[in-house]
Amino acid sequence: MSSRLLGVFLIASSAAFAADGEFDYVVKAIEHYYGVKRTHIPLMGVANFALKVAHPGGASGFHLAIFEDLRSSSDYSDQLELDRFMDGVTLRGLSPMVRTHSRRSGESTYIFAGEAGKSTEMMIVTFEPNQATVIEVKVDFQTLLRTINHPEGAGKLFMGSRDE
Amino acid sequence: MRIVTIALAAALAPLWAQEIKLPASLEKLAAKAEDTVDIRLDGTMLRLAGRFLSDKDGDEAAAKKLLAGLQSITVRSFQFAREGEYSTADVDEVRAQVKAAPWSRIVGVTSKRDGDNVDVYFKDGGNGQLGGILLICAEPRELTIVSIAGTLDPAQLADLGGQFGIPRLDVDLSVLGRKGAK
Repeated sequence: MSSRLLGVFLIASSAAFAADGEFDYVVKAIEHYYGVKRTHIPLMGVANFALKVAHPGGASGFHLAIFEDLRSSSDYSDQLELDRFMDGVTLRGLSPMVRTHSRRSGESTYIFAGEAGKSTEMMIVTFEPNQATVIEVKVDFQTLLRTINHPEGAGKLFMGSRDE
Repeated sequence: MRIVTIALAAALAPLWAQEIKLPASLEKLAAKAEDTVDIRLDGTMLRLAGRFLSDKDGDEAAAKKLLAGLQSITVRSFQFAREGEYSTADVDEVRAQVKAAPWSRIVGVTSKRDGDNVDVYFKDGGNGQLGGILLICAEPRELTIVSIAGTLDPAQLADLGGQFGIPRLDVDLSVLGRKGAK
């Protein structure tokens, strides 16, 4: 476990000098830590374009990564382990704001936020029983407030429920 | 004398600004809880939030004014599947921090019927302002602790209810005899 954590910290240090942004850093950290690859999402470019046009929830600059079959990692369902992993994720310009765990649904949500010009940049990392989702999006204040007040639905606010 | 006063004030300033610390023992409850919520908004985030609020719109202007004085908001909430998963001893370490001045217990509501127990502690910030608020909502299957650090008008407390994960408080602050309290 310590070697994997070390790996995350090494990624963290290299990410500090990288130009590919916080989203890629989190994606790489999850890939390295859980030994998974993000799922290719067809037509993601189209979805991003639609978001730019429609601005649901005042959103723009949408990035999404989904990881499936995470259950194969033995410590994935351990919430304390998730906390330790996410505590090691240090994002430039984004502060950890909300953390929720639900034993009932098996979901954990981590929300980071920071200033992005005239809007707020928000990073939502959700771990569900069998998949993880990373969302980076720029939102207006009202959306940020709504997300803080209902953090458990934060991920679904931007990508809709995949179960529906 | 003036230098002594300034030196004393400087020495006490960190204590004055001190936030309530949620003890590690409280974190153990997370292992028993069905759902946990942890919200931490520091001064940077609160100032950022304030920047997006209008000075002209009535509600937004009020919220902006409110946020300007705040240093942090921390909300820790645990929901349990059954009653009796936590005890008053779990919260005693938090209560111990607000036993003495400048803190005072302003509201204490205990319902024998529902088992609900709400305690509100205010920190005197001087000049009729609050320097901080600690709210402990203890229900049989739910425990919520809210700590607000910073300066705010008591009348603004109601405005915070329902925002930032802070539970709505159905408490009439006019009993405190403060002007403008809701």
